[in-house]
Amino acid sequence: MWQREKKPVVGIFGFSGCAGDQLAILHMEDELVDFFTSADIKFFHMAQSHQEVDHVDIALVEGSINTDKQLAELKEIREKADIIVALGTCATHGGIQYLGDNEKEFKERMLLVYGKDGKIPKFSELVGNPIPAEPIHKFIEVDYSIPGCPIAKENFIPIYTKLISGLKPTKYPYPVCIECKFQGNDCFLLHGKYCLGPVTDGGCDACCPTFGVPCVGCFGAYEGANFESMIEKLIEIGLTEEDAKRKLMMFGGKATELALKGEK
Amino acid sequence: MCQKFTQISTFLKILQISKILELNSKLLYYISLKFSIFRRYPYRLPYKYNFKNSLDMKTYKMSKDRFPEFIEQIKTKGQLYGPVKGNGKYSFEKIEKFEDLDFDYQRTVIGPKKFLTPPRYQTLRYDKSGQTDVFVSDETQIVIGVHPCDIHGINILDRLFLGNIKDPYYEKRRNNLIIIGHSCLPDENCVCKSTGTDMVEDGFDLFFTELGEHYLVWVGSDKGLSIAIEAEDMLTEEISEDEIQEYVRWQQRRSEMFKSEIPSFKYLADIIHLHYDSKVWEQFGEKCLSCGICSIVCPTCNCFNVEDRISMNTEDGFRERILDSCTLPYYSMVAGDHDFRPDRTSRLKLYYTHKLKEYIGRWGQPSCVGCGRCITYCPVGINVLTVSTALYEEVCEKPEACE
Repeated sequence: MWQREKKPVVGIFGFSGCAGDQLAILHMEDELVDFFTSADIKFFHMAQSHQEVDHVDIALVEGSINTDKQLAELKEIREKADIIVALGTCATHGGIQYLGDNEKEFKERMLLVYGKDGKIPKFSELVGNPIPAEPIHKFIEVDYSIPGCPIAKENFIPIYTKLISGLKPTKYPYPVCIECKFQGNDCFLLHGKYCLGPVTDGGCDACCPTFGVPCVGCFGAYEGANFESMIEKLIEIGLTEEDAKRKLMMFGGKATELALKGEK
Repeated sequence: MCQKFTQISTFLKILQISKILELNSKLLYYISLKFSIFRRYPYRLPYKYNFKNSLDMKTYKMSKDRFPEFIEQIKTKGQLYGPVKGNGKYSFEKIEKFEDLDFDYQRTVIGPKKFLTPPRYQTLRYDKSGQTDVFVSDETQIVIGVHPCDIHGINILDRLFLGNIKDPYYEKRRNNLIIIGHSCLPDENCVCKSTGTDMVEDGFDLFFTELGEHYLVWVGSDKGLSIAIEAEDMLTEEISEDEIQEYVRWQQRRSEMFKSEIPSFKYLADIIHLHYDSKVWEQFGEKCLSCGICSIVCPTCNCFNVEDRISMNTEDGFRERILDSCTLPYYSMVAGDHDFRPDRTSRLKLYYTHKLKEYIGRWGQPSCVGCGRCITYCPVGINVLTVSTALYEEVCEKPEACE
């Protein structure tokens, strides 16, 4: 029978974000004991004391990159890790902090928020000089992406367990609508309410639409998304084009904006 | 007494012979009728036009006020499911009491295919000691209130899954399922008259047609017959000429109620074939959201993906079937990462040519049963009706010339 040679070394790293994905891992109470025994968890700030690591087999990276210090750390992780998995919408798509980029120039925004010279005392020494927020794939090569705000257990476990077993997870993107219809829900768009299900990555079991709340797109853009048609549909149900685009960009951020312009 | 004994022994003999000859149950029933084993339930040709298996077709009449009693009785036979209204939509749910049932519905979001090919189900489990197939329990599931289009949909699924190579997971579910149909009245999205699936001849166990104060009940299978025999005191075989006339009038009235029609449905396959490179596909491809709603709600779409799920301990896990959709990207991806249909247009074209054209070549009829679910649920209005109308209008620039 096939057996793993040894437990893989796993590191969980966090950058800018709410750390909700690390929390989501700790929330998997039924699987938590297995999570810490099936792999050698070497670096997990939320759950462990600080450890120095030389090499990890799998690095789960959460959050977007906001400062030059984070960028240097991210590049270091890439060198130390064999496989990098972007965890959560901040890491895969940039998240909410990636959204403001089209409004004003970065320097202008810094001035607006932090006063005259746009500099924050002591901030630079602690976390580094600020740079515009970007998802991690802008700087390093990412092997797998698990979106979610936060990640869904049902989506995370199959990919993670395949990775720690030395197998290759298959990529099969599908929108929220698929799981929404699995639950037998009616469609919000047909009743004049906005819902971003058709352009949002699935994996959440359509938990919001099932409980009567339209999808806001927290899993980021779905690979087969047709934004032009979606905007047309949103305008048809009474949103302005501006509003429709802003709604679409909430979690997808600049990636959605580029997709809207036809760039990928 | 002696005569009865001879009858039974004759019947047992027939049973043995039929086992040797592998005669089917219908023929066996017919033979047993000849030997008057079931003389209490004499066979009478029912009033129903154009039926193929008239052998086990029986027709009864049931008064409406006996219907709750009937529901109570069939509930004892297994888990009962039926149409229930909730959050502005209908779905087949477990029925606890008669009041939950609501037969005044057009369509559920997901049809009764959820009992045969559920969106997700396990087919295999494994652990360190080995692997075992996962099958559903032997519990009988009874679905009541199934409309003719959905019964046609199940017939199409039967052909696919119970053909030369039987799917064991489907077969088990199908054998455990009792289908009790119910008549319906069409709305503006029903196109079953065009597809010829507004009436149903087989595929159900019992079928109830609502006529004023009573139901006409058709028996469609041995299982249905045994239910009818048990509910004998609620059913009567005396159907008067007036009631037959009433049924005919009801049929005519229903037939006139259809508002939507697929233009020249008979020639649609040819139109698709001759205009395979039509620009219509591109127009729809631009609009399509690739969301897959159309195929999840379709009563005949059954493509599934197979995935292995490993548990967190990496020592056990299961294999899962997940309902798939051909409108999703990577649906046609093969080994070596080659994708045959990378764009929306070609995927949409696959969906409709398969449903309306390719199926006819293989099975002699399209796999659209006219239930109107795609017409109701597609957010951007791409459905059997709009696609076929657009194709038809492209071919026939002057529609009156094509009539």
